[in-house]
Amino acid sequence: MQKSIEDLRLEIKILIMSTLSIEGLDPAQVDDDKPLFGGDNALTLDSVDAIEIIMAIQRTYGIRIADQDKARQVISSINSIAGFIAEQQENALVK
Amino acid sequence: MIIQNFNHKMAAHCESGTITSLLNHAGLDITEPLVFGIASGIFFGYFHSMKSFAFPTFIVRNKPGRMRVNIEKRLGIRFSTMDFRDAARGKQALDELIERNVPTAAQVDFFYMDYVPSWERVHINVHYLVVIGKEGNRYIISDAYFPKIVELEEASMEKGRFAGGSMSPKGFIFHVDKLPGEIDYRKAIMKGIDKACFSMLKIPIPFLGVKGIRTFAKKIVDWPKFARDTEHLSHEIMKINILLEDQGTGGAGFRFMYATFLQQAADMVGKPGLKELSGELMKIGDGWREISLFSARIGKNRDLGPDKLKQLSDMIYDRADVEERFFRSLSLAIK
Repeated sequence: MQKSIEDLRLEIKILIMSTLSIEGLDPAQVDDDKPLFGGDNALTLDSVDAIEIIMAIQRTYGIRIADQDKARQVISSINSIAGFIAEQQENALVK
Repeated sequence: MIIQNFNHKMAAHCESGTITSLLNHAGLDITEPLVFGIASGIFFGYFHSMKSFAFPTFIVRNKPGRMRVNIEKRLGIRFSTMDFRDAARGKQALDELIERNVPTAAQVDFFYMDYVPSWERVHINVHYLVVIGKEGNRYIISDAYFPKIVELEEASMEKGRFAGGSMSPKGFIFHVDKLPGEIDYRKAIMKGIDKACFSMLKIPIPFLGVKGIRTFAKKIVDWPKFARDTEHLSHEIMKINILLEDQGTGGAGFRFMYATFLQQAADMVGKPGLKELSGELMKIGDGWREISLFSARIGKNRDLGPDKLKQLSDMIYDRADVEERFFRSLSLAIK
C-alpha cells in the first residue's frame, strides 16, 4: 500500500535531516511549500546538499534523477520532492 | 518579430540542446541524447598545462563545436556557419537571418546573458543559444539552460558574442542550411559509437579517454601542491562536482545522457544488447555521482588530508577500470 502524501512529506524531511546530519530541528517547522534553496525555510540547503539529497532519494526509493534540470525542479521544496516520488511510485505500480 | 512555431525546450546541455532545437525546427525528429551519441559527445580528458589552465582540470565531453561538425558529417546535414572580426558586421548578419525567419544559433560568453540570475553567471565562452526573434533592440532567445523564452539587449548580446579570452566566440553563428532527403540512422549511430569507443580506448595520449581517467586518479593526490592554500584547494575539489553534475552534463559527466542514447539507439539499429549496456552505463554514472558527492563533501568540510585524496583517487581509478570494460563491450556489441 502506498503511503499517504503527508507521511511521505514527513519521511522526506527526516531523510534530508539525517542525510545532512541536521540535529535539533523539528520536522514540523519545515514548510512544505517554501523553497529549500535560498529562501527563508527552517531547512535551507546549498548546491552541495542537493547532490546528497538526489543520491539519498535514489538509495531510499530506488528512483534515479538523472537529468539535473529535472533535479533542480524536484528538490526545490518538500512538496515537489513528495509529488515526484509519489508520481514515480504510482507509475511503477501501473507498470 | 518572433519566428513562429519555434518550440523552446530545456536541454541537458547547451550545444547538443541547441543543435537538437534547430534540427527539430527544420523538421527532423531527433532527441538530444541521439544528437549527443551520434556526435560521439562522450569523452574524458585531463589537462594540466600551466600555460592554458591555472589549475589541473578535466572535461567529460568532446571539444566544443565538435558535436555540430560530427552531426553534420554523420547525418548529412548542412549547417551554414559564420564568424566575424567586426562586431557590426556580426550583428548585421544575425539580424538579417532573423529577418528571414531563420532560427540561428550563436556562441556566446554565458556571463553576459543577463536573463540568468547574476549569481549563476560565470565566464564560459562556449555557451550556445538560439536567437528566434527581435523586438526593437532586444533579441528573443531560446536558451536550453533556461525554462522559458527570454529577451536580451543588443548590447549584452554583442558583449557575449565578441568576448575575448580563451575560445572566444568571434561572433560565431550557425543555422541549418539543408537537411538530406534520407538519413541512414543506423550507419550514423554505429559510426558515432565506434568513434566514441576509439576516443575512450585507443587514442595514444596519456591524458585522453580511459587513460585520462587514470591520469586524473594518479594526479589528484598532488593537487595540494598546485593550490595557493586550503581555500583554493577546497574550491578546486568542489569544482569536480560542478564539472560532473552542474555544467549541463545531464548528470554524472554525461554518462546518463549517453546511456539514454544507447537505450534509444538499440531499437533503431536492431541491437538489443545496447539496452543492457545502457543499464550498465547508468550504474557507472552512479559511481561518478558518488565521486561528485565525495568531492563536494570533502571540499565543503575542508577535509582534504592525504587519506581523503587517496580515497578519491581510488574511486576515480575504479571508474577507469569499469569504463575500460564498458567501452570494450560496447565496441564488440556493434561489430
